[in-house]
Amino acid sequence: MAIEIETRAEQTDKGWRDADGFVGPVRPGNGPRTDPRSEFPTGPEVGAVLPNFQCLDVEAEPFDFYAHRGASRAVVVFFRSAVW
Amino acid sequence: MHDFNAAGIQVYALSYDEPEALRDFREAYDISYTLLSDPDSAVIRQYGILNTLIAKDDHPWVGIPFPGTYVTDASGRVTAKFFENNLVLRAGPEQILRAVTGEDTDPSRTQPPGTERKELTPNIFVDGPRLAVGVLRELVVRFEVPAGRHLYAAPAPAGMLAVDLTLDDHPKVVAKALQRPASHTHTLPATAEHFEVHSGRVELRIPITVNGTVVSDEGNDELTLSGTVSWQVCDDQVCDVPQQQPFEVTVPVTGVVASDLQARPGQSDIRARNALRHFKKMTSRRL
Repeated sequence: MAIEIETRAEQTDKGWRDADGFVGPVRPGNGPRTDPRSEFPTGPEVGAVLPNFQCLDVEAEPFDFYAHRGASRAVVVFFRSAVW
Repeated sequence: MHDFNAAGIQVYALSYDEPEALRDFREAYDISYTLLSDPDSAVIRQYGILNTLIAKDDHPWVGIPFPGTYVTDASGRVTAKFFENNLVLRAGPEQILRAVTGEDTDPSRTQPPGTERKELTPNIFVDGPRLAVGVLRELVVRFEVPAGRHLYAAPAPAGMLAVDLTLDDHPKVVAKALQRPASHTHTLPATAEHFEVHSGRVELRIPITVNGTVVSDEGNDELTLSGTVSWQVCDDQVCDVPQQQPFEVTVPVTGVVASDLQARPGQSDIRARNALRHFKKMTSRRL
């Protein structure tokens, strides 16, 4: 699916302002500031069971989502970076 | 975070950062929820939310997801999800907690007693302690409609006023569309006419955040939100005079976006010290 990148931007003395008024050093449409203009894929839908996955935990140990979650309700946040 | 823990909810946050970068993040903000490292973006791809708008050679940005949050019930089924087109925006902890606990906003179940004709006074507030850049909180107007009375849902019948909340434009505020509660059908006994109404506890919500133009040196800014609340309360015989009242709500704002799921910022200097090292590693492992 071809997703359009949001490129509306205005240059100000403090940086690049996007259509919602957020100002940053990167021009909207570039690098970390590539936002989708309209529909974009958002993964599992409401009503679907979240798939199991494996990755590393913060101690670099193997992590299994289903094993850890057990029978608890869960909030799973996918964020961009803790570094930048 | 206390509220999530108290309710036995498991909170996870996953990114493509290396574990050691996440350790710094955890220490800087004293994070108690589960941080997960997906440095090859395998999980991000598996879930189908890789940000494919970023060029494959644009390091280190390539590999990040379209950021968002899933909320599940005890069986692991998704009951709500939060994704935004503007990737600076993210759902505030209050909205997430409401989604996962299914906090009752069904108006017909909380009918306060009372048949006296008292003035209905709406309560208008922001659902979090402050507005931080990019974190969506909600401007809420709450009515406690006494039993036997109701507010009209939109669109209201001819000549009647539907309950409404409007927020004046503000250059520092980003607002999304008004969210109305579910209505229910009410039948007037005398005429058998049907109307869509709200009763009991009725809440209208506008998701809001602040954009980057709020940043000040001390970080002690406040912002005043203004707008109008409209409503008309009726019982089965008669309607009160429609009301349109302006409101003002003042809320602290901050430009610092600390860990969203926690209330207090920690020591962020450990992040600043190591951030460049992590950033270089993230870039070089992808080249």
